[in-house]
Amino acid sequence: MKSARSIAAEVRSGRRSARSIIAQTLADIHQNNPAINAFTARLDDQAERDAAAIDAAVDSGRDPGPLAGVPFAVKNLFDIAGVTTLAGARIYADCPPAAQDATVVRRLKEHGAVLVGALNMDAYAYGFTTENTHYGATRNPHDLARSAGGSSGGSGAAVAAGLVPLTLGSDTNGSIRVPASLCGIFGLKATFGRVSRAGSVPFVPDLDHVGPLATCTDDLALAYDAIAGPDARDPTCSTRSAPPLTPELAAGTAGLRIAVAAGYFERPLAPVARAAVGDAVSARDIRRRIELPHADHARAAAFMLTAIAAGSLYLPALRTRAGDFEPLSRDRLLAGALIPAAWVHAAQRFRRWYHDRVLALFDLVDAIIAPATPCSAPALGAETMSIDGATMAVRPNLGMFTQPISFIGLPVAAVPIECGSALPIGIQIIAAPWREDICLRVAAELERRGIARARIG
Amino acid sequence: MDKFDDLSLAAYVDAAAYLLQLPIAAGHLPGVRENFARIAALAALFVDAPLELHDEPAPVFRPGPPA
Repeated sequence: MKSARSIAAEVRSGRRSARSIIAQTLADIHQNNPAINAFTARLDDQAERDAAAIDAAVDSGRDPGPLAGVPFAVKNLFDIAGVTTLAGARIYADCPPAAQDATVVRRLKEHGAVLVGALNMDAYAYGFTTENTHYGATRNPHDLARSAGGSSGGSGAAVAAGLVPLTLGSDTNGSIRVPASLCGIFGLKATFGRVSRAGSVPFVPDLDHVGPLATCTDDLALAYDAIAGPDARDPTCSTRSAPPLTPELAAGTAGLRIAVAAGYFERPLAPVARAAVGDAVSARDIRRRIELPHADHARAAAFMLTAIAAGSLYLPALRTRAGDFEPLSRDRLLAGALIPAAWVHAAQRFRRWYHDRVLALFDLVDAIIAPATPCSAPALGAETMSIDGATMAVRPNLGMFTQPISFIGLPVAAVPIECGSALPIGIQIIAAPWREDICLRVAAELERRGIARARIG
Repeated sequence: MDKFDDLSLAAYVDAAAYLLQLPIAAGHLPGVRENFARIAALAALFVDAPLELHDEPAPVFRPGPPA
């Protein structure tokens, strides 16, 4: 699978038709998806029509858009006109089809990209492994017995298997960054409010982010440039304009102050996760260590706010049809609905306190490197894992390093580090709010130096 | 916050579920209690954080259409 940028260049120049790109993509999905179970819906007819429209634009001399002919697919919590939006959950299966596309889906199409399908996920986006009882587990393309991560597991696996160069996912506590790490690809969770969530099924409305997963920083930037910016349909979407990231990628990192996250982020780490952070740190001879104050409390507060928001959201359905819920998250939803209000208020006050203190760190540094996951992909069905001498539950702890970052809406790039291990793993590159450019400049520099590289196929 | 005992947590789960009119099937109850105990243990980390009167909650409501 070529990058989105190179596909678009071929289509825009007329060297290759969008129809041939899409025909090949649909054939690849048909042949290879059954092994990984990334797709839950295919849109072959629509994709062929849209590709023909792109070719017609090229033939008539019109601009087909910067993503012309690029096949993409989206986590099935995004509305696709004419398709029922599942959010990975059986309770939505009988809902009518969406009337219109989610804002981000529409924007990618308007930039010339061609939607080919919807992707599997943890039910309600509540999970880190995409083990879905009703729609099947998504398997990691690099080892079919292992998890692709979650909750945007289909979005990670579809890119890592080379089926599409670009997908969209959502990230409330790590759901783009965890699958990006476990599948060995790039992901971008922009600043909270930077990218519209309109037309996506909510999970935790003041923590939900949406963003792209791809094979390189170039393609993350292209996708971000298409989808970021104000949207009146989403009340949490910022009215700030979103400067394009693509022109920033070649800027390098000279002058940027980069630190590695210390304390909470140093253990538990499997050797491969420690090596990934070490390789990135060595590449830039980074010596500064910086500690996010009370990151463990931040993780706890994010966990609890997620449980109460999701439990409350689904309370009416839990009253009447709890038996239809995903067994892996049903009891957590039921428990979440019972959380006392004083704890919620305390968590939101702590969140402001933590936000202000972490922001002060960005007076000292421009970017922070941290592990994305404590380990590479766990086996599907595994309940516990042992890391650094500690035994812990798999499903909640895959996100232990991502949760304290999304809790305060910071922009993060998930970057796969090529450290020679059997299974891929990634790191997080974190910046101050609205500085996605810094995340991707550091990612692009690591990519140029051969430290960061997606593992495809 | 002190550590919670299992009996008190179970009584709270029952009472809160009653107030919310949320029937919990007998088969789901052990898992709900276990999950609530995990949440309570996590909450204990931050509910007593020494915040000042003017430490405001994170969400900010802004009336009217976006500026």
